[in-house]
Amino acid sequence: MSDEPASTAETEAEQGAIAEAIGVWAPRGNEARVMAGTAVVLAVFPFVFARMPVTSGILRGYQSLATLILIWGIFALGFDLLLGYTGLLSFGHAAFWGGAAYAAAVFSQQVSGSPILMVAAGTGFAVLLAWFLGFLSLRRGGIYFAILTLAFAQMLFYMSSSPLAFITGGENGFTGVQTGELLGMVPLEGELPLVLGPLLGTYLYAFVAVITLLCVALGYRILHSPYGMVFRAIRENEQRAEFVGLNVWRYRLMSFILSGFFAGVAGSLFVIHGSYVPLASLYWTTSGEVVIMTVLGGTGSLFGPIVGAGVYLYVENIVSGGHPVDFIAPFWHLILGLVFVVTIWVFPRGIWGFFRDVRDRITGGEE
Amino acid sequence: MSFHIEAITVLLNGLQQGAIYILLAVGLSIILGTLKFVNFAHGALYLIGTYAGLLFALEINLTSGLLQEWGYGTLGLDLGYIPALLLVPVVVFVVGLAMERWVVEPFKDRPDTDQILVTFGLAIVVQEVFRIFFGSSSLPFSQPAWAEGAPQVPFLAGIPISSWRYYVILITAVLVAIVYLLVEYTDFGLVVRAGTRDPEMVELLGIRLSRPYIAVFGIGAALAGVAGVVGGPLNPVNPTIGNDILVPAFLTVVIGGVGSIAGATLGGVIFGLTYAILVATFSSWAQVGLYAIAAVILLVRPQGLLGEEGVAP
Repeated sequence: MSDEPASTAETEAEQGAIAEAIGVWAPRGNEARVMAGTAVVLAVFPFVFARMPVTSGILRGYQSLATLILIWGIFALGFDLLLGYTGLLSFGHAAFWGGAAYAAAVFSQQVSGSPILMVAAGTGFAVLLAWFLGFLSLRRGGIYFAILTLAFAQMLFYMSSSPLAFITGGENGFTGVQTGELLGMVPLEGELPLVLGPLLGTYLYAFVAVITLLCVALGYRILHSPYGMVFRAIRENEQRAEFVGLNVWRYRLMSFILSGFFAGVAGSLFVIHGSYVPLASLYWTTSGEVVIMTVLGGTGSLFGPIVGAGVYLYVENIVSGGHPVDFIAPFWHLILGLVFVVTIWVFPRGIWGFFRDVRDRITGGEE
Repeated sequence: MSFHIEAITVLLNGLQQGAIYILLAVGLSIILGTLKFVNFAHGALYLIGTYAGLLFALEINLTSGLLQEWGYGTLGLDLGYIPALLLVPVVVFVVGLAMERWVVEPFKDRPDTDQILVTFGLAIVVQEVFRIFFGSSSLPFSQPAWAEGAPQVPFLAGIPISSWRYYVILITAVLVAIVYLLVEYTDFGLVVRAGTRDPEMVELLGIRLSRPYIAVFGIGAALAGVAGVVGGPLNPVNPTIGNDILVPAFLTVVIGGVGSIAGATLGGVIFGLTYAILVATFSSWAQVGLYAIAAVILLVRPQGLLGEEGVAP
């Protein structure tokens, strides 16, 4: 009897803790709606893209490309966190993408081929690397930042091209990837059972889609938290942010690390998807590609970069093959470059921003 | 080969390599210092210079690309290297003026991330245009016959370096000296330097800055063009060379100090020598060493070796 009040207090405290935990994780504002929408899109995308009778015929999509689009989408989403929200243009994100890819690949060969652990290893490596490189390159802003990140990434590229060739395979890339089965029992290449098979395709896609959903959730959460507001404040006016007492340097570093985290997740998934790490994944043109995707899709939005990744990869893989017109094939890269230039010039908010503007014009909403 | 000959060879190779970086970096640096414009298309100007040089200088045999298909497989434009050296800078100067007018001007008041992005995009477009016309494969761009083999003068006769490399060093030295004199000792230079410090005040004094500025961009572009002509025969020529040269060129600017011609020169010399020495000793670390040196310098002295605080954007 005597301990009853205490135990009530205890359960109350416990309940409080649980409520708090739920409070932390429970969706806020539009989050539930956005997540549900994303989940639906992710669920029907491969079917519409690769298997649905009419659309897949027009699009000529295929399963593997659907997976690849999500992977690059995660990369671009993380990149936009830095460029679109904090206003820092990094030309060295290949370091995190390629670094994570090598880390995950080596991990699979030496330690464990579990896809989840591979993603954890690759991402962990990318985060540490981002911390270190961010610490060094954030000493200067603007163009210095762009050039320093570029330089550090190039340094990593040349490191793996020859001095570290005994680990990375040098020019040939890393070929000894040993991806195991998901949770020790599900082969990633296998088709999903029942209705999920035709809808989603492989376990690999489902795995990538779940991680994409988590990444979108994380990105949304970060950007709609007070923490993410600080990122925007820094982009809008660095001095003012400094004057209200924010440690701008630290927030920038955190933004850089978070962005490296997403790049790491994507880079690790890229290895699981392709079972191979090309040396070019560290070259600065890879950083350039993610820049193009992000800007094309639209900086400063969560889904723009993913759309940008989709458009870029679609053009790279399908339009370059002569679809829908043969004439385009040799010019696809040029056309992409021109579209990129026009985008920066005329639609600084990219495809996503363009459609948002159109929507707002029609509905007369927002601004 | 005795040690001192080997040492001189490395030294000269380093200077020659550095000379290319210097030509690019001086142009980049004055553009960055005066117009506050970040030109990621500088490598593309180098690319234009190289191909224009190739067209002017040689009877070239195009092995792939549209020109081949259209029956221009062999162009008989054996104009020689000297006209190429004189004409290409003019061509690229004009390209530079056009770029200033149509690209730099509209992007002047936009954030430098936008400037980087649009010039990066332009660089891709230029590269792809060249790929379409000339194909992806490397084209032969030989050194001129009169500049092959070691020069037959005392001191240099025993050193296994072709005369062309000496010309590269010489041309660079002359051009950099001209630009330096132009900026430091002429009225034009005075206006440009004053504009770097305080553009509003210069405009208030009744001097229009737009003309000197457009000229600065043209000069920077022309230097990149020369770099393309003199550097062309030393490396394989393909549409990605602009991409490959851009990063070291920018690093040269940044380690030397933005806006400083002497800084760009010093940066280029340091870069060239480091590279040549590492190639001769630990060749697999050569590229890594280049970036490591740059990183260390920037961390110790963020404004660059001869740079001043507050000149750069």
